[in-house]
Amino acid sequence: MTEAVPPTWRLPPVPALLIAVLLIACAEIGGASMVRFKLELTRWARGTMLARPQIHGLVGVRDVDEQIMDEALTRFDGGLRLFHMHAEGMGTIIILTTMVAATWAPTAGARRALIAMLTVGGAGYPLGYLVWAALIPFRGVEDGKRLAEWLVWIPFGGTTIIAMWLLVAVLVLQLRGGRSRTAP
Amino acid sequence: MRRPPLVVVFLAVIVMALGETAGAVMSQLRPQTERYALARIAASPTAHGLTGSAEYDDEVRARTVFAVEAGLSFFHTHAEGLAPVMLVAATLVASLVASRRLRAALYTLMTVGALFPLGYLGYSAAVLQVGRDDGVAFAERFLLTPLGGAAIVGVLGLLVALTTRRVRVS
Repeated sequence: MTEAVPPTWRLPPVPALLIAVLLIACAEIGGASMVRFKLELTRWARGTMLARPQIHGLVGVRDVDEQIMDEALTRFDGGLRLFHMHAEGMGTIIILTTMVAATWAPTAGARRALIAMLTVGGAGYPLGYLVWAALIPFRGVEDGKRLAEWLVWIPFGGTTIIAMWLLVAVLVLQLRGGRSRTAP
Repeated sequence: MRRPPLVVVFLAVIVMALGETAGAVMSQLRPQTERYALARIAASPTAHGLTGSAEYDDEVRARTVFAVEAGLSFFHTHAEGLAPVMLVAATLVASLVASRRLRAALYTLMTVGALFPLGYLGYSAAVLQVGRDDGVAFAERFLLTPLGGAAIVGVLGLLVALTTRRVRVS
């Protein structure tokens, strides 16, 4: 049975909001930590890479190895930056899209499913960048990326994309139904 | 908080969904995107200013492909950034602006403004169609400026409504 749409926003469940706010907080702390501990992070990544020369294709020639490590360290830094950006963005998007789902999903079941998918997918996806950055010193740039893709980006990012398009479908049905079309 | 009309929410959500999807496409289909761009450049050599000199043409191709990818990247970031901002701004309009006419005008501006990220899709398409410089100029003049202008005017309109106390009394 479908429910009437209220003239005000319905809030999503508290756990969804908590997860979104936690994600935003992690992004803020991540951004600050990247700056504050840049030297320590670079030193750790460099040391870990030097301990695994075969994985990174290090040959023992300083000029060649420095270039390889510079490139890997740039990607390592990029992974941390992308985590910061995506976590801030997705935290906000979780709050807004779950609010839309809470307000417009036609049944309680649809509402629960949409909110769960938007929250889990949205919160999990940015962590992939953190996983990638952490894997680079141990597994190399490409292998780390492949692992992050299969472990995090594809499952969580895929869930978010499917949930977003389901949300679009819900709104299309509401538009076609002609309910709540007038401005409140 | 009051919610804005369904059509405003729908357009904001669809832009966010397109932005998410574009991010995945950029990441998973990057080689295919590059191949498609190169094929389109090869199909209209005059528009892209190819001269037949391998070294020069390679540079032109690289710069054009870079511009196309930058357009897709900007689309992704702006869709995830501006659409939520417009949704929040429209919620403030719904909750705080008293005049029905002013609300309708601000909703219209913000809805058009939420489409600004689509201008970057047009940017990429225009670069491929008419060449890098002409494509960028076209997109800036006919897509990005009007759509972005609507977003700016919408937010400024909300600001004016709030500062001149044309607000709803709860």
